Amino acid sequence: MKGLGRNVLLFTASALFLVYVLAPVAWLVSSSVQQEAEITSRPPHWIPRQPTLENFEAIFQAKEKKVTYETRRAGDPATGGYIPSTARDLVPSMWNSLIVAVSVVVLNLLVAVPAAYAMAKIRYIGRSTSIYFMLTTRVIPDIALVVPFFLFIRTFGLLDHLGSLVITYLAITIPFSVFILVGYFESLPDELDKAARVDGCSRLQTLLRVYVPLAMPSLVAVVLFTFLTSWNEFLLALMFTQTPASQTMPIVVASFASDFTISFSFINAAGVLAVVPPVLMAVVFERYIVSGLTAGAVKG
Amino acid sequence: MARIRLESVGKRYPNGFVALEELSLEIADREFVVLLGPSGCGKSTTLNLIAGLEDVTAGSLYFDSTLMNVVPAHKRDVAMVFQSYALYPHKSVYENIAFGLRMRGHPRAEIESRVKDAARSLEIEPLLERRPHQLSGGQRQRVALGRALVRQPAAFLMDEPLSNLDAALRIAMRAEIKKLHHTMRTTFVYVTHDQAEALTLADRIVVMREGVIQQIGSPEEIYDRPRNTFVASFLGNPPINYLEGTLAADGARFVRGGLSLALPPELSKKIGAENGRQVRLGIRAEDVDPRGTGETLQGRISSVLPVGSDQFLGVEVEGTTLFFRVGRELRAAEGENVALSVNMNRAQIFDSSSGASLLWK
Repeated sequence: MKGLGRNVLLFTASALFLVYVLAPVAWLVSSSVQQEAEITSRPPHWIPRQPTLENFEAIFQAKEKKVTYETRRAGDPATGGYIPSTARDLVPSMWNSLIVAVSVVVLNLLVAVPAAYAMAKIRYIGRSTSIYFMLTTRVIPDIALVVPFFLFIRTFGLLDHLGSLVITYLAITIPFSVFILVGYFESLPDELDKAARVDGCSRLQTLLRVYVPLAMPSLVAVVLFTFLTSWNEFLLALMFTQTPASQTMPIVVASFASDFTISFSFINAAGVLAVVPPVLMAVVFERYIVSGLTAGAVKG
Repeated sequence: MARIRLESVGKRYPNGFVALEELSLEIADREFVVLLGPSGCGKSTTLNLIAGLEDVTAGSLYFDSTLMNVVPAHKRDVAMVFQSYALYPHKSVYENIAFGLRMRGHPRAEIESRVKDAARSLEIEPLLERRPHQLSGGQRQRVALGRALVRQPAAFLMDEPLSNLDAALRIAMRAEIKKLHHTMRTTFVYVTHDQAEALTLADRIVVMREGVIQQIGSPEEIYDRPRNTFVASFLGNPPINYLEGTLAADGARFVRGGLSLALPPELSKKIGAENGRQVRLGIRAEDVDPRGTGETLQGRISSVLPVGSDQFLGVEVEGTTLFFRVGRELRAAEGENVALSVNMNRAQIFDSSSGASLLWK
């Protein structure tokens, strides 16, 4: 009976936790397909009475729609909540976010994987110092880096250019990626490295043919981490991008909220779209995630 | 086929630790050389230097007459077997064995026939599709051997390859490795801390300590004519017994308290007359006979340890306990007195302070 009580307690606790974590997401999804009138009703309707895809239509058709002061009510006739003129920037901004995130993921791997292998398996002077020095850069809050980054970006003429985001996101993600991978590579026996080299692999081949396949769980963790960081980043993107040419999704979505007549259901629809790519990635890589996050910590 | 020559080779790590100092060694083509010593003596470092896995920081390393100091590991034609086997966990047994050939660009058909041949000779053919984690320790060991021998390398390097196996398997594998050496007809360099492995396998043994070679010689030479107490102690089971004492009668007698043993003329000639010199007498555990005559040790039995075929006796002689191996026919009991005759022709004499042999230089 003691075991049963324990199970009931654990079940209740995890159920409560799940509700706590998932309720906002559920509300986001539910309200994105509600009418503006329904969204503000009390008590709230968790399950929409009259689900509508109007908001999503507005986002994907915004390009053709000419929204003016006179036609703003057209966005949502039910309440007068309005579809902002920047709605047409949302889809391009998703592309911008995707381009930035994918570039950061790829470049991050190209730098972090060889760096981590070298730090884990090659003994050189200043090895441990370099690992800690790199980590130390992550102790500095991003806000303190904004001004130096801005000056740097301006000097290179990259303001309002996706390149500015790729460069700064790499500076943020590489140290942590290297740290995760160093831990994992160190947990793999040195003798594997030696065996591969005696078998005829150069250092690079050893890395690509032996260590990379074995480090898959960690690599997935790194890919997810860098993708999500780049996808969600707000502060630097706000500073370095000024026009829809380079604005990323968080910036455009945030800009919707600047008008008090904005349709909440429309913002929530945009929010749903913002969540889709990371969720897709998480689903695809799900079976690797847990082992990747813990693998580096436990030395073999 | 390769002759391996190390000329005053040194290895110093960036943190200042000197693993090897001025090591010179020549390994003949097709020779089986065992590097023997306690952990940290530099034997594995020597092997890594030969393989090219670590950089030589002083001196020169040659394969035949080619200087190898800066040739990277993957361009040296050597194969290596590791204590942990170091099989690639993500590859099948077949892929593990084939990997070295693939990296060297052999054609597919040739790789397949060579892998099959190697697997057949090691009796691991049924395992080719498995992954390393599905194998027992002995099977992994065989795969590791297969991975090395399939390449038909110029030199075969082994770093404590049997240490992770259980005792029975270890003895069986020793025989297989010896057979392998005969069939492969190539140079073997084998690192171990196990004296029995060294004595059974080696053409020549190199005894090392703290980065310095103590003695190089055939197993018989190393066992019968150790150059210092370190070498003498490292080989033999139970280990050699020492008695501190002095020389007397112009080097013809060894004296310790009430004990006085006559040294055979050949030995005392080598030592030279030097009365009163502090020496350490070494008697191997098996060099006594309870029924013999001649020079005898009197003592009280402090322990009796039967080991099946023989028994080990702990005997208190002149204040120290010596361990001997005697036949089972001796009825011995703790606390009894015993007289053992010593084969003084096989006795070793070392300088007390330096530990260097006075007989073999």
